[in-house]
Formats: sequence, C-alpha cells, structure tokens
Amino acid sequence: MKFWSILKLSWKNVWRNPTRSGVVILAVVLGTWAGIFSTGLMNGLSMQYITNQLETSVSHLQIHHPKYSEEYLPKYYLPNPDSLVKELTSYDFTQSVTARSVIQGLATSATNTFGVTVKGIDTETDSTVSNVHTYLAEGEYLSQSARNPVLIGDDLAKRLKLEVRSRLVINFQDVEGNITAGAFRVTGIFDTPNSAFDESTVFVNREDLNRLLGRKNTVHEIAIMVDNFKNADQYRDSLAHATNLEIRSWGDVSPSLRYTDSNVDFMLYIFMTIIAIALVFGIINTMLMAVLERTQELGMLMAIGVNRIRTFSMVMLETFFLTMVGVPVGMLLSWLTILWVGEVGIDLSAFAQGLEEYGMSTMIYPELPEGYFINIGLLMVVATLLAAIYPAIKALRLNPVQAIRKV
Amino acid sequence: MSIIKVRDIKKVYNKDQVPVHALNGVDLDINEGEFTAIVGPSGSGKTTLLNVIGGLDEPTEGKVYIHDTDMFSLKERELIDFRLHHIGFVFQAYNLIPVLTAKENIAFILQMQGRPQKECNQRSMELLKMVGLEDKIDKRPSELSGGQQQRVAVARALSSKPDFVLADEPTANLDSASTANLLDMMLRLNEEENITFIFSTHDQRVVDRARRIVTLVDGRVDSDEERISNNEQVPNSRKN
Ligand SMILES: Nc1ncnc2c1ncn2[C@@H]1O[C@H](COP(=O)(O)OP(=O)(O)OP(=O)(O)O)[C@@H](O)[C@H]1O
Ligand SMILES: [Mg+2]
Repeated sequence: MKFWSILKLSWKNVWRNPTRSGVVILAVVLGTWAGIFSTGLMNGLSMQYITNQLETSVSHLQIHHPKYSEEYLPKYYLPNPDSLVKELTSYDFTQSVTARSVIQGLATSATNTFGVTVKGIDTETDSTVSNVHTYLAEGEYLSQSARNPVLIGDDLAKRLKLEVRSRLVINFQDVEGNITAGAFRVTGIFDTPNSAFDESTVFVNREDLNRLLGRKNTVHEIAIMVDNFKNADQYRDSLAHATNLEIRSWGDVSPSLRYTDSNVDFMLYIFMTIIAIALVFGIINTMLMAVLERTQELGMLMAIGVNRIRTFSMVMLETFFLTMVGVPVGMLLSWLTILWVGEVGIDLSAFAQGLEEYGMSTMIYPELPEGYFINIGLLMVVATLLAAIYPAIKALRLNPVQAIRKV
Repeated sequence: MSIIKVRDIKKVYNKDQVPVHALNGVDLDINEGEFTAIVGPSGSGKTTLLNVIGGLDEPTEGKVYIHDTDMFSLKERELIDFRLHHIGFVFQAYNLIPVLTAKENIAFILQMQGRPQKECNQRSMELLKMVGLEDKIDKRPSELSGGQQQRVAVARALSSKPDFVLADEPTANLDSASTANLLDMMLRLNEEENITFIFSTHDQRVVDRARRIVTLVDGRVDSDEERISNNEQVPNSRKN
C-alpha cells in the first residue's frame, strides 16, 4: 500500500516535465539502440570473418594421422578412410564430411616458383564443406573432363603470372618419399576474401593427386562441418574417445581464430560499458535537476513525515520508469534494425579497402544472439539505476527545515 | 491539560562562525483546544520556535514534550514517524504535491500512515468537505486559488487526527478575503472539532482573531495573553 502510493506518485512525477522525461527516454532509447546495433555490427563482422575462414579453408573439424601435423609428410595418410567417412557422416551433428589428400609442394610456372599447399579433393563432397567454388572469379570449378585440372587463387595467379588454361608444374614427395612432379592446367581462378589463402592453396582432383602420389585412395585429411561451429570443441572431444587419430577443432587448427571468437564477447561488453557510462552521466545530470528544482516540495514531504527510505525510493523509481520505457523500446528498435540490415547488409567498400587483406568481406551483416540482447538490456537497466542513486541520495540528504525556508 | 511543554529552549545557529541566538530560553505550555498566534518582529524566532515544536529542528538546549514524549530523545526515524502520526503541518507555500489532485494529496499522507485504501478515500472526502472544498476533489493545486490550496493543506494536516496543527504564516501569500476565509475555517475547526492550532503571523487581522497571543522578541517570550472572545482582551497571569 505505502509502496504502491510511492510508485504511483513517482510515475506521475515522471510526467510533470514531459519534455525532459522525453529527452531522457530518447537518450536511453538511442543509447540502447546504438549500443546494441553497433555491437551487432561488430559481432557480425567478427562472426563473418570467422565463418568465412571456416567455410573456405579451416572447416569445423579436421582429422589427420597423429603425426601428420608435425611434418606434413605424404606418408602419414589415414587408414581405412572410406569406413571412417561413412561413420562420421552417420552422426547427427555432422552436416558434411569430405576426404582430401594434401601435400606441400612447389608450384612452378613459366616465370616463377612458389610454395603451395595442394589439396586433392572430391569435388562433389568438398563443395559441401568448403565454399571456394562460390568465389570463382574466372574459368570453372575442377572439371572432370580436362586432364589434371587445377584451381588456383587470384593472388597466386598474379605471382606466377598464370591465366585460365595456363600450365602449372608442381613438385612434391610421393608417399614413398621420392621427389615427383605433376603438370596441371589451370581451369579456374578463385578470389576469396582471404588473400593469404588465395596465394598459397591450390585444388586438384584427389584421384589425379593420388596417382602422382603413387597410392590409390590416399586420404590425409577429413574435413567436417558440424551443425554449430561454437560446439566444435565439444564434438571433437566426443569423437576423440573412439579413435587414436588426431582430431582438431577449428580452434586448434587456428588459435588466432579462437582468440578472435573468445575476445568478441569481451570487446563487445567493454564497448557497451562505455556507452552505458555516457548514459549514466546524462541521467545523473537530468535527475539531479529534477531533484534540485523541487527542493521545497521534497522538504515538505519529509517534514510532514515521509521518511527517507520512501523519499529515496521515489526518486529511484522515477529513473527506473524512464529506463523501463527507454530500454525495451531501444531493444526493439535495435532488434528490428539488426534484422533488417542483417538482410541487406552494409557496404563498407567505400572506406575500408584494406579489409580484404585481412580476410574480411566489405559487406557487413550485423547479427547478435538473443543472449546479448538480454545482457545488454540488463546492463542498461543496472547502469541507469546506478545513475539514479546519486540524485536520490541528494534528495534524501535534504534538510527539511532548510528546504522549506528557501521560499 | 497541556499537550505541549516547551522547556527552556535555546537555539543557536552558526555556532562555529558568528553565532545567531534565534531562541534564548523559551518556556511555553499549550493546552488542548487552544488557538494560539505566535507574533513578533521579523527575526524574533517564530519560525524557529514552530520548527522546534514540530520536531523539524533540534534545539541547542532544552526539551520539548508532546504529551509525555520527550521529542528530541527519539531517533531520527522515530521522529519522522512521530510527525507523521501526531503533528499536522501547514506551511506558507509548497504544501501540496503538484502532480496529485486535492483528494490524492490528502489520501497520500493517509496511505503513508498505513491506512487501508477505503479509509483513505473516505477520510480524504470527509476532510475536503470539512474545509468546504468537496467540489474541488479532482483539481490539481495549480487549478486552485492560493486560499483553496491552503485549505487543502489544512485538511491534509488534519488527516492523521494530529495532537495539534502547526502553521507558519499560513496566510502570508493570501489576499485579505482568502485570509479571512481561512481564519474562519480554522476557528470553526477549533470550536467544532476542538483542534489545537498554533500559527505564526505578521498580519494584525489574523492576530486579532487569535484566542491566545504569544509575542516573541529576540528569541524570548515577551508577552503571553489570552482572550475570552474575539474582541475582548484580558491581561493574563502568565504575562512576563
Ligand atoms: N538556518 C539558519 N542559519 C542561520 N541563522 C538562521 C537560520 N534560520 C534562522 N536564522 C536566524 O535566526 C533568527 C530567527 O529566525 P526566524 O526565522 O525564526 O525568525 P522569524 O521570527 O520567523 O522571522 P520572520 O518573521 O521574518 O519569518 C534570525 O535572526 C534568522 O536570521
Ligand atoms: Mg518566519
């Protein structure tokens, strides 16, 4: 009853100066909106960067011979790859599985030489794990018709002065450890957002590579996409029990990607906190004005017997109401904005030409998991309540006698 | 029976710098049903005395008893509660909460006293009727004249059925017609409901209608006289 009366009075007090309250609410709305939206943007950028890397090159899980990643020698191939692939495909959490033979080689063109990773792929299954085929800039994907076709990145093409239909010789070791070489013909040139990848990776048909390796059905690497890349470590652990092969999650393969992923959270909350702090100062300022301009009234209330806890609660509640109007509106707006911009994207190419060098796309699609909305909403509520404390303490410290005398 | 006993009250402001002796040993007894005006020149200590009696301002020395409660022996929280339940206040201005209607202003303080909602509604209607504002229940203070606002303030002050009502210059901001109206009403409440009023004033027309007049000079009681009717003045035994 008493609390309810204070609550009602606070609500009415909020609207005694609609302009000021409107400005505060607007600030809370904008703060929440800007905070969440830019967080979504930053998160989208990071997620895009990570998923791009995973989808073009790293994949979610990689299986190798236990010694393979120490020396990358062709002799460390996987035993019984067919049954392994079959088994992996049968799990619920795997979305796509592909087998590759992978070797390190020296690519030589008519003009130049460059060290490359050669991936022998089964085009049908590989295109479900890697999206390189979607980045085809010239020519076509590995065609079965041509003899020894090779797919190269645009950066390698530049370096070795290659074009579609150019010839490329690759030197490498076979499974026995003997030096061998193969002549390939460029059928397509891809251009992913990751220049380092485009420069150092070439794709050939696995059969072609295996023929040169001197062993049929050689598989060095099984690459797997799972339902959610965030769970890769967990899936790795559940698979590890069943085999003595080396299973690595994308985070194991690329620690820098894992670092990026785990730091996104931290960065976002730092960022949000900065916005929240700005908001806090705005609110302290306005609420302080709201308290100081009714010194007499508050003094009168305390004089006639409204105790300090109630006076304090009243001012706190006034801020709380402003927040409770502002935060949900800001959250809704930002949710809609993220939904919409998440569809159409933001084109940063005009002022971010360097992005591609770092494996980033110049189109950004903001995205934010629901958890962030809740947390950021809570952060805003906590921030504004913290901001309310100082003015409320000011109110409760008023000396009624002094307050009333100031007529 | 005296409900207020003021005993040798001294109040010094600015003790550390240039001390101001606002009250220099005031003794005063107020009986139930009295209608007392505190008068005196500006700066004589009227407001200070009322604030001390109302438990708003702690005296430097001396004691105030309300019935048998030594008011300044109470803890701050208890004192606020004591004011809420035992003392009615009417100030010169800023009596009402601007965002609440006349009725809500009265009901609010009843709610603070912890009365049930139904009683709050009934009693605030009753009180507004008592001060002749039953047609203004849903008006905000800004929609009321100064005199009407002060009537609401009196009604609010009466809400807790207080031991007495303190009013520091309640008519200072009113024109003469409103002043007369408010005085009529206060006198009627005093006579019909036996409500004890203690008020300060500079207005001779208000002084003329008081039943007891306490004059302060330099923080001391200079004279204390009682009247039998509104016009007759009799010397009082308590005169200093
Ligand atoms: N907070 C304060 N600090 C310092 N001095 C004060 C304070 N309050 C009052 N005084 C001083 O105490 C004395 C008594 O003041 P008080 O307000 O009680 O007089 P008053 O009789 O009510 O005067 P008025 O008729 O002008 O209202 C004055 O000299 C005043 O300046
Ligand atoms: Mg005064």
